[in-house]
Amino acid sequence: MSRFSRPARFGLLCLAALAAVLLGIGVGSVPISPGEIFQVLANKLWGAALPEQMNPVIPGLVWSIRLPRVLLSFFVGASLAVSGAVMQSLLQNPLASSYGLGVSSGAGLGAAVLIVTGVADSAAGTFLLPAVCLCCGLATMGGALSISTRLDRNLSNNTIILIGMVLSLFLNAIMTTLSSANPDYTQRITLWQLGSLSMKTWQQLGPVALAALVCILAFCRLAPELDLLSFGEEQASAIGMERKRIKWLLVLLVALLTGTAVAFVGVIGFVDLVAPHIVRRIFGPSHRMLIPACAVFGGGFLSLCDLAARTLASPSEIPIGSITALIGAPFFLYIFFSSRKEAR
Amino acid sequence: MLHAEHITCGYGDKPVVQDLSFSAQSGQILCILGANGCGKTTLLRAVSGLLPSTGSITAAGLDLRTAPRRQVAQTVAFLSQLSNLYFSYTVYQTVEMGRYAHRSPGLFGGAAPGDGEMVRSCLEQTGLWELRDQPITALSGGQLQRVFLARVFAQDPKIILLDEPTNHLDLKYQIELMEQLRRWVAPGDRCVVGVLHDVNLALNYADQLLLMQEGRALCQTSAQALDPALLDQIYGLDVRGYMRSALKRWE
Repeated sequence: MSRFSRPARFGLLCLAALAAVLLGIGVGSVPISPGEIFQVLANKLWGAALPEQMNPVIPGLVWSIRLPRVLLSFFVGASLAVSGAVMQSLLQNPLASSYGLGVSSGAGLGAAVLIVTGVADSAAGTFLLPAVCLCCGLATMGGALSISTRLDRNLSNNTIILIGMVLSLFLNAIMTTLSSANPDYTQRITLWQLGSLSMKTWQQLGPVALAALVCILAFCRLAPELDLLSFGEEQASAIGMERKRIKWLLVLLVALLTGTAVAFVGVIGFVDLVAPHIVRRIFGPSHRMLIPACAVFGGGFLSLCDLAARTLASPSEIPIGSITALIGAPFFLYIFFSSRKEAR
Repeated sequence: MLHAEHITCGYGDKPVVQDLSFSAQSGQILCILGANGCGKTTLLRAVSGLLPSTGSITAAGLDLRTAPRRQVAQTVAFLSQLSNLYFSYTVYQTVEMGRYAHRSPGLFGGAAPGDGEMVRSCLEQTGLWELRDQPITALSGGQLQRVFLARVFAQDPKIILLDEPTNHLDLKYQIELMEQLRRWVAPGDRCVVGVLHDVNLALNYADQLLLMQEGRALCQTSAQALDPALLDQIYGLDVRGYMRSALKRWE
């Protein structure tokens, strides 16, 4: 890989991600070729005529089922990978996660309450569930930060990590209690926690894609600040960065990005941890390259994981969180042990 | 060039530095000496604006306590001792970060004209041009501290504050670092204010000395006019006696 220049590597990564998206649309009970995919897209976007010999099921299958699902997995993967990279730099901790601020636990508890009370199954549930999850996730993050600020005016990284962890464990405990007190809903709550991209339409894609695009572009603009923060807040401040203002902005953007993704598809772990490490090895740590490359890599990676989730045990579906954890957990150990070796 | 008057600062409610005043002149190196815990680093952090303080701190006409960070960073740079590195930026990327304060802060702010030449000149000045594409995680302690010195030079400040930057460095690298700083102040429109643990190094390179004891200034004096008894007082031992006995072993 090192014989290619960085832009060439980025080009190859984009091609690989496009291939992952095309595979995600093409592979399934009805196989669809890339040519057919482009014909359907041309028809839907520009009104081009469809070939007569095309299976009549394909246009609906591509446009209404597989395309929104694959695009949703792409944007969720991009969101999680980018927010993971930002959190690792912000907290100068290569094992930090975008869920560390308690966003996922807050959203999880919100989802569990709606599922147990039956609101999730009501007519308004389709939109109420993500809205409540997002609000609960953001409220938890707000709570974690406000407690951290009270305990430590400088809002140091260790305080944020500890409070985020304690709050997450506390909310998870409430959710587990709620789940065990309502055994009829236990399976559903567990499945929500593992994340799922099934039955998703353009309506769910819209907010996720919008949040991803806005936040990822903002992070690209904040790349120099993220580079400075990688050396520690005091050094960043000494070089001229308004530390507190930028830190708050970054944390809010991460919460919005992660919160929106979690609200619509549940908690999908390990993408945020694994993707930034792989991308740093290929592109280096500079955020000017790291952020867009993480977005493309994370998107392509989750598209492939979703493909595996829906095809490996077809016709039933494996929760996508299990697939990402199956790949992510061994990688986490690898990073942990290799960094310990380096420390020696 | 740098005037600090009646500074009081600390952590929490307890002041570590109390009612301390000093000044540093252009073209000079001022070293702050004092026993562990007397507030040297705290004072330096307050001067750089990283720690809130009361009193007045001005440098080149700028109030360092209240000015925006970007403006402060254009005037004052901070070189501290080596800390942990988590990500493997290249030498060039690390030094280039020193230009941050000179870039336009707007939405489309990017590299300022002349940034590239400035970075190259700082890398050449510190003998790092050949190593510019190396990851900083692969460098020795001495090379790494040179990278951070180059980044401080790239910041193009009027004043460099040093917080024990020679810690963990071999004698050769300590001298090399101080020589580079000596050359940097030579033009006469810049100054260095530093905390050094090594009294020998401080006495060899400082033009002025600020002696601190228990958060207060004991005195500010030129290095030549230093009364050795004051050194004994702040360190609580016979400093000259110790140095003589060390030298005797060599002779």
